[in-house]
Amino acid sequence: MTDRKSFYLMTPALAWLTGLMVIPCLLILALAFFRRGTYGGIEYTFTLENIGLVFDPLYASIFLKSASIAGLSALIAVIVGYAAAYAIAAAPAKRQPILLFFAVLPFWSNYLVRTYAWIVLLNREGLIASIVHSLGYEGELPRMLYTESAVVIGLVYNYLPFVILACYAPLSRLNPEIAEASRDLGGSGWTTFRRVTLPMTAPGIATGFVFVFVLSIGNFVTPALLGGGQFQMIGNLVYAQFLTANDWPFGAALSMFLIAIMMGLLTLQTFATERASGARQEDT
Amino acid sequence: MTQTLLSIRNIKKHFGAVQAIAGIDLDIRENEFFALLGASGSGKTTLLRMLAGFEMPTAGSVMLDGQDISHVLPNHRPVNLMFQSYALFPHMTAAQNIAYGLEMDKLPRPEIKARVAEILDVIQLSPLANRKPDQLSGGQRQRVALARALVKRPRLLLLDEPLGALDKKLRGEMQLELKRIQHEFGITFIVVTHDQEEALVMADRIAILHEGNLLQCGSPHEIYEHPQSRFAAGFIGVMNFLPVRRSGNELIAKDGSKITADLGDDLANESDAVAAVRPERLSLDVQDDDNRLTGRVSALAYHGLDLQVHLDTPLSSEPIMIRLTADAAEGRRLSIGENVTVGWPAKDTRVFSA
Repeated sequence: MTDRKSFYLMTPALAWLTGLMVIPCLLILALAFFRRGTYGGIEYTFTLENIGLVFDPLYASIFLKSASIAGLSALIAVIVGYAAAYAIAAAPAKRQPILLFFAVLPFWSNYLVRTYAWIVLLNREGLIASIVHSLGYEGELPRMLYTESAVVIGLVYNYLPFVILACYAPLSRLNPEIAEASRDLGGSGWTTFRRVTLPMTAPGIATGFVFVFVLSIGNFVTPALLGGGQFQMIGNLVYAQFLTANDWPFGAALSMFLIAIMMGLLTLQTFATERASGARQEDT
Repeated sequence: MTQTLLSIRNIKKHFGAVQAIAGIDLDIRENEFFALLGASGSGKTTLLRMLAGFEMPTAGSVMLDGQDISHVLPNHRPVNLMFQSYALFPHMTAAQNIAYGLEMDKLPRPEIKARVAEILDVIQLSPLANRKPDQLSGGQRQRVALARALVKRPRLLLLDEPLGALDKKLRGEMQLELKRIQHEFGITFIVVTHDQEEALVMADRIAILHEGNLLQCGSPHEIYEHPQSRFAAGFIGVMNFLPVRRSGNELIAKDGSKITADLGDDLANESDAVAAVRPERLSLDVQDDDNRLTGRVSALAYHGLDLQVHLDTPLSSEPIMIRLTADAAEGRRLSIGENVTVGWPAKDTRVFSA
C-alpha cells in the first residue's frame, strides 16, 4: 500500500480519536493545573496544589490499594485463564473454536448485568447462601458481598475472556515438536512446561496481565456495586471528584496519574510483544 | 558380524481403525547407519516415533541392548531424535539448545560447558554459539539440531528427514558430513527418508517400507541390483518394466518376442509376470547380447553426465528408458524418430510376478 493511500484510510479514525478523545482528555488534564473555585467550578490561576494532593498519604494509599486489587485480580485471571487456554489449545483442533466461543460468551452480555448477577449470587440471602443453608448449615456465613474479595471476583470474572484469548494465541501457535524435543532430551513434563512452553508463551501472559491490570485499576463500576459504599478504588475517587465533590481540578490530577500508569504499562507490554514477534518474523 | 543393538519384533501400530504399521521385524546393528526408506504414508515416521517413545506400539516389542523399551517414556530412553522441523528452542541460543539435554542429565556445569564447546567445534559453529535460532541459516540450524541430539551420546540417534529442508547442493555435502560424524562418534544412526538417493549414498543398510509393511532390507547394492518386489524395483532408481508371460524357460513379451533371464522356480509356468531392466544396463546396437529390442526414439534428455533416451517399442505401453554415458552418446548421434536396437545380458533381467 502506498503511504498516501494508508494516510487516507487512517484519516477518519485518527480524526475521530483526536477530536473526541485526545483533545477532551488533554483539556481535562489541563484542569489539573488550575484552582478549584470556592463554590465548585474552576478558577483559572496556575497551581501545583492538586498534583501535590495526589501524594497525600490518604490518596496515595487509595492508589496503592487499587493497584494491589488490580494486581491480585490480574494474577488470578492469568493463572485461571492460562490454564483454560492451555486446555483449549490441547483439545482436538475441531473442538477448539467451540470451546473458545464458550470462553468468550459471557463477554457478549452487558457488563452491568453480569456484575449484578454476582450480587444475586453473593447476597446474604443470595443463591450461594440459600444453597449452603438448604444443605443443613445453620450458622452465620461470612460476609461475601461488599468485600474486597467480591471486587476481585467480579474483576477476574469480567476480564477472564481477555486473558484466555491472549494466552490461547501463542499456545495454539506452538510447534508440538518443540515440546517433544524437550521430552526427547530428557525433560520431564513439568520441566518441559517450565523451561520451554512457559517462556515461549510469556508474551501472551504479559498481554493478559497488563490488560486485566489496566482495566481493573481504573474500574469504578465493580467496586461501587460489589464493594459497597465503604470501599473506594481510584476510579471511584475520580468519579466522586467530578460528580459529587465538584472538584474537577483534583479529579483531573488523579486521572492524569491513572492514565500515566496505564500508558507506561501498555507501552512496556507493546515493546515486549514487538520484540517477541519481531524475532519470530525474521525466522520465516 | 557386529552385535545387534536394536531388535524390533512384530511391532504393530493402529490409530483407531487405521493400521500404520502392520507387523515389522528388524534388527539394527551397533554402529550401523541405517535408513528407513518409504513414501509418505508408508509408516516410516510412525516407526521412528515408536523408537523415540512418542508413540507406543499396539503390539510387539522394541529391545535396546536386550532391554524392552517399548513402553519407556521418551525422557527415559537412551535414544535421541533429530526432528524434521529441527524443533530448536527459539528462546535459547545455539549453545543453550545444545546444553539443554546435558542439563536434564544433571551433569556438572564445567562438564556441560566443555562438551558443548567440543561439539560446537565438530559442527564448526563455535563463532555462532550465542546466536538464537532465528539468527542462523537453515544449514546452521540443521547442524545445531544434530549437535543437540548428538551431544548426549545416545545409544541410538534417530534422524527424521534430516536433510529435507536443505537445498540440493548443501544436501550433497551434508550426506557425507553426516556419515563422517556418525563414524567419528561411533553412534548408531537410523535415518528416515523418502529420498532413495540419500538412502543409497548414506546408509549401510536400507529398509524399504510400504503401507506399513517391510518390503525388503539389505545393503544399498542388494536393494538396487536385486529388488525383491516390483514395488521395490520401481521405488529405487529408474526401472523399465515389460509385461511378459512365462513359457517353459523363457519369457514371452507382448509382441511375441523372447526375453531371457535367470528364472527361478517361484514363477509358475504360463503365469503373467513382469520383466525389469535398469536403463544403464541397456546398450546400443549390441549384436551378441541375450536380449534385443528395437524401437523409435521418442525423446532425448541431455543431463551432461549422461544422455537419457526414451524408446517407443511394441513391448510396453510405457517408453523404454535408456541411459547412455557421455562417452557412448558422443560416438553415436541420435535424433528423434530414428529407429535403434538396444540389447542387454540375461543376468541383468529381473523378474517379478505380476
